Amino acid sequence: MNRKRALISDTFKVKKRRNGTQKFGAVSDGDGPTDIRATLEYLMTLFPRKLFNDTLPQIVLKHQLYSIHNDKTLVDKELNKLREQGELLMFQLGFDADTFGLVFASDYKAKVLAGEEGRATRATVEKFLQKLPSPCTDLSFTKDKMLREFLFTDSEITQLVKSGVLTVRDAGSWWLSIPNSGKFTKYFIQGRKAVLGMVKKSKYSEVLKAQLEERRTTSHVKFHIKYHIHDIVGAELVESIPTTSGILLRFVEP
Amino acid sequence: MLGFLTARQAGLDDPLRLRRAESTRRVLSLKLNPDRDVDRIHGNGINTIDIEAIEGRYMLSGGADGVIVVYDLENYSGQLQYTCKAVCTVGRSSKYVHKFSVETVQWYPYDTGMFVSSSFDKTMKVWDTETLKPAEVFQFEGNVYSHHLSPIARKHSLIAVGTKEPKIQLCDLKSGSRIHVLQGHRAEVLSVRWSPRYEHILATASADSKVKVWDVRRASGCLFTLDQHNGDKSKASSEAVNTAHDGRVNGLCFTGDGLYLLTTGTDDRMRLWNSATGENTLVNYGKVCNESRKRLQFTVSRGCSPEFVFVPCGSSVAVYGLHTGELVTMLRGHYNNVDCCEFHPDYQELYSGGKDCNILAWVPVIRASDVEEETKSANQLQVSREIGYWQFDRPKGFLASGSGSET
Repeated sequence: MNRKRALISDTFKVKKRRNGTQKFGAVSDGDGPTDIRATLEYLMTLFPRKLFNDTLPQIVLKHQLYSIHNDKTLVDKELNKLREQGELLMFQLGFDADTFGLVFASDYKAKVLAGEEGRATRATVEKFLQKLPSPCTDLSFTKDKMLREFLFTDSEITQLVKSGVLTVRDAGSWWLSIPNSGKFTKYFIQGRKAVLGMVKKSKYSEVLKAQLEERRTTSHVKFHIKYHIHDIVGAELVESIPTTSGILLRFVEP
Repeated sequence: MLGFLTARQAGLDDPLRLRRAESTRRVLSLKLNPDRDVDRIHGNGINTIDIEAIEGRYMLSGGADGVIVVYDLENYSGQLQYTCKAVCTVGRSSKYVHKFSVETVQWYPYDTGMFVSSSFDKTMKVWDTETLKPAEVFQFEGNVYSHHLSPIARKHSLIAVGTKEPKIQLCDLKSGSRIHVLQGHRAEVLSVRWSPRYEHILATASADSKVKVWDVRRASGCLFTLDQHNGDKSKASSEAVNTAHDGRVNGLCFTGDGLYLLTTGTDDRMRLWNSATGENTLVNYGKVCNESRKRLQFTVSRGCSPEFVFVPCGSSVAVYGLHTGELVTMLRGHYNNVDCCEFHPDYQELYSGGKDCNILAWVPVIRASDVEEETKSANQLQVSREIGYWQFDRPKGFLASGSGSET
């Protein structure tokens, strides 16, 4: 006798389905293994490399993935797996305690070294990148970790901060960071405010996602508008409602 | 569903599995039912509700005007349309009524002869249900945000009280003493909860962003403090050490078996913790809107296979899967903010109360009978059988769905 023991939750498909097969407005797959890596690569293509003259590695924000995949816990687990394999690095970007930026490790190392060409701090940065444990799950480093584990001197730490690989967190500890990412943060926050403003100013503070993608963006929005849309949907700054004409984005009062 | 029934008939499945499957199906179909209503007595918002654990028949509610009402939830009228009547009220005209809003009410866990209420008038009163007079009044120095009696305690009868003071007082019902104090928090204590698994374990949540778990038999401090980063010092800024949330923690709820603890905070997050080790299970519920300055009363379902969390979110109640963190549905129906909700485990119903002075009953949708059954002989027989179920035979849980025959 071959009887598969199913979970009760599978029988009821806890997520309510409307018309059985047709899920209007949905972008993601409901079933099938969620491929986080493919989603990451897709989001990375939305990142404008030319804007920063190729000095920055492609950065994706963690909550942008939530806008594509429904199950946040699963996304978190997969990201942690990728980080433990050493393929992905996570950064605290600084403007929000909950916002994390993701960069492919190989990308990051390549860009940082390229940026350090011909600079005095090059040797120290190389040493730091080599010393970084391959599956690096730390977001920040304390002083004694730097001194003891990595055997850096104080002056070398100052050089690392100067080169942008470390940013000050508080007395005696530093965040791991991306050099020259200040511009990225500035443009990103500007763009986010502009796109949110576009949604808010629409009639009834709501707009169809397809329509928003077609709109002409002001000069404040330097990134691809899809990048910003994934950001505001994932951060739950707008509510994403499936309708018969597509996904509707409605502004949420904070 | 038929698969479960056949398996149960053939003995392939445990009886508990069928019960769980039906409970889950019922919770997934919760809706506002036009036939079920709760008497509207409160003139101001409803802050707290509690359903007694013994029979599941009586419900207490406490309002912002200090009024306390007892409702009878059972339907013995024989009709489908039923309004839960208020059995008795401690109204504004009573000599002993609370002066300000009642924040927490709770039935005595062993019988409905007694209930305890605490209020912003800095008192906690232990009432006799028969005479509606307080048998005991405890005075405090600050507003009382929350109190809780352990639902399983045999060896003690302590009431844990969280007030504006940072220390938690334990009041003894038997002797009336209040000497036992738990020190450790640095700001007002917004919520206290005893574990439903061990009678000496208490969890407390405070506005200083910390949640502490105590064993009351221990003389020294708390057992552990919940840390949202699980000890990973690199994630947080160094001031936010050992915090459960990035804002005030205003809601606490243990799951039915006491193995997990849920906390909600004003940083719009809800977290699930392993209650034995204090580890954050990192289930991501997304943004759980929370603007409450006081305690938030939310609840977890009992007896279902994937358990569900019901959290008041603005003017609706959000239903999340407990371990997956996904939003199942939003129950909309209130006209204003929802403050409290309570799950009735026997009938899988949800009662929620809010600022619009209404208590709404969310009832599982009765499965419509198949076309063949309706056209079968004796429609009247069918109807009388249905009423028969409502009137006499309203057993717990899964047999209460309308039509009697399952194919």
